[in-house]
Amino acid sequence: MKEGLVSFRGIKEGIYIYIKKGEFQDIKRELEQKLEESIDFFEGANILGIKAENLLEDEIKELLKIMKDKYRLHISEDGLPQSLEEPEFYTGIDEGMTKFINSTIRSGQIIEYDGNIIIIGDVNPGALIKARGNIIILGTLRGVAHAGIDGNDQAIVAAYNLQPTQLRIANIIGRRPDGEIIASGLPEVAKVYDGEVFIEPYLPRK
Amino acid sequence: MGKAIVITSGKGGVGKTTTTANIGTGLAILGNKVVVVDTDIGLRNLDVVMGLENRIVYDIVDVVEKTCRLRQGLIRDKRYDGLFLLPAAQTKDKTSINPEQMLELINDLKAEFDYIIIDSPAGIEQGFQNSIAGADEAYIVTTPEISAVRDADRVIGLLEAKGLNNPKLIINRIRHDMVKRGDMMNVEDIIDILAVDLIGVIPDDEAIVISTNKGEPVVVEDEPLSAKAFKNICKRIVGEEVELLNLEDNEGKFSKLIKLLFSK
Repeated sequence: MKEGLVSFRGIKEGIYIYIKKGEFQDIKRELEQKLEESIDFFEGANILGIKAENLLEDEIKELLKIMKDKYRLHISEDGLPQSLEEPEFYTGIDEGMTKFINSTIRSGQIIEYDGNIIIIGDVNPGALIKARGNIIILGTLRGVAHAGIDGNDQAIVAAYNLQPTQLRIANIIGRRPDGEIIASGLPEVAKVYDGEVFIEPYLPRK
Repeated sequence: MGKAIVITSGKGGVGKTTTTANIGTGLAILGNKVVVVDTDIGLRNLDVVMGLENRIVYDIVDVVEKTCRLRQGLIRDKRYDGLFLLPAAQTKDKTSINPEQMLELINDLKAEFDYIIIDSPAGIEQGFQNSIAGADEAYIVTTPEISAVRDADRVIGLLEAKGLNNPKLIINRIRHDMVKRGDMMNVEDIIDILAVDLIGVIPDDEAIVISTNKGEPVVVEDEPLSAKAFKNICKRIVGEEVELLNLEDNEGKFSKLIKLLFSK
């Protein structure tokens, strides 16, 4: 049996249930099991509805009925808010929430943000930067940068000096070649083309 | 009120203990009242390097547990009146003391001494946390190896997280000939990665091995280049401006003379 098909997600209006692609019987069993385990937690919560990847209308209705009748949960009349209908991944690539970090990020440190990250300093080996959007480093990137963590492969990583141990964009991983590499000495940007991470100067004429 | 300086590195074997012994002794030579504190509980070495092992009766754990008075735990150095050692316990482990106790201890010491030099254990666990608890400043020791530099970077990050900003860097065991051939990281490479201020560069020197085995810090001697480098660090600590040592002197006067003769 597949696990992890059912997850509860909180947004500001309340809680909704997200269901991945899977067999209806498995989904039903997992949902009941999860509700069983933590029914106290959901008591009095405002359940907005179910968002499923491949369930039929009837199946969703059946699940809602179980929740209502068997577990006495309160299902909101309003249904799911409109915003959930949008794509899952971060969309603020061109314009969005941005975090500024005003220091060098050292080995063992992790910077994580639900948006773009700008680092005014270096990112040293052993450090990890994770952003749902773009990562811009006004210094040298020697550690690992992961842009578009929730799947947006339009995200970029740019640095004055791009020498990462590893570069990840969405779910694509690029790694530093073994052996000596020739540093271009130019500011560079990493982007995804055809499912691979490419590095190119962003000021090609300089 | 004295100043507490922790000597740390993350990686083991880069020369924290040697550096602590030499800086402590060097500051005492300059006329300061100094105590060197070994926080490497369970693996103490500082007493051996200072040649004071046979005088240990009480140790740091006895002092923080108040089994003895602070005065009883301190061992007076055999060469310099103003120099004391507070040894680590050998039969206990790092969990025998906690950062709060350490802070209290260092504050007590600061009331009596000009400088408290704290020798930190390798690693970033409790022993490290104890060693930095009371420190006002941190000196990072690294060697020109990528692994040591990596660990130094990690430690600098941890120190900053604890509010110990602007640590200073000591690069140990550098070999000018290898740097010149491009086989060893040079000072600039290391500074470029770590982005901290440099307080000294110590050359790789046989004299250190000899002096360590004798239980006599090299800084008490006049000739060795490493002794000069440690003396310079001590002068910088007390506020003098001293230029970085020219490590090229290493090749000796004789070979220079030969070069001079042949270049004509």
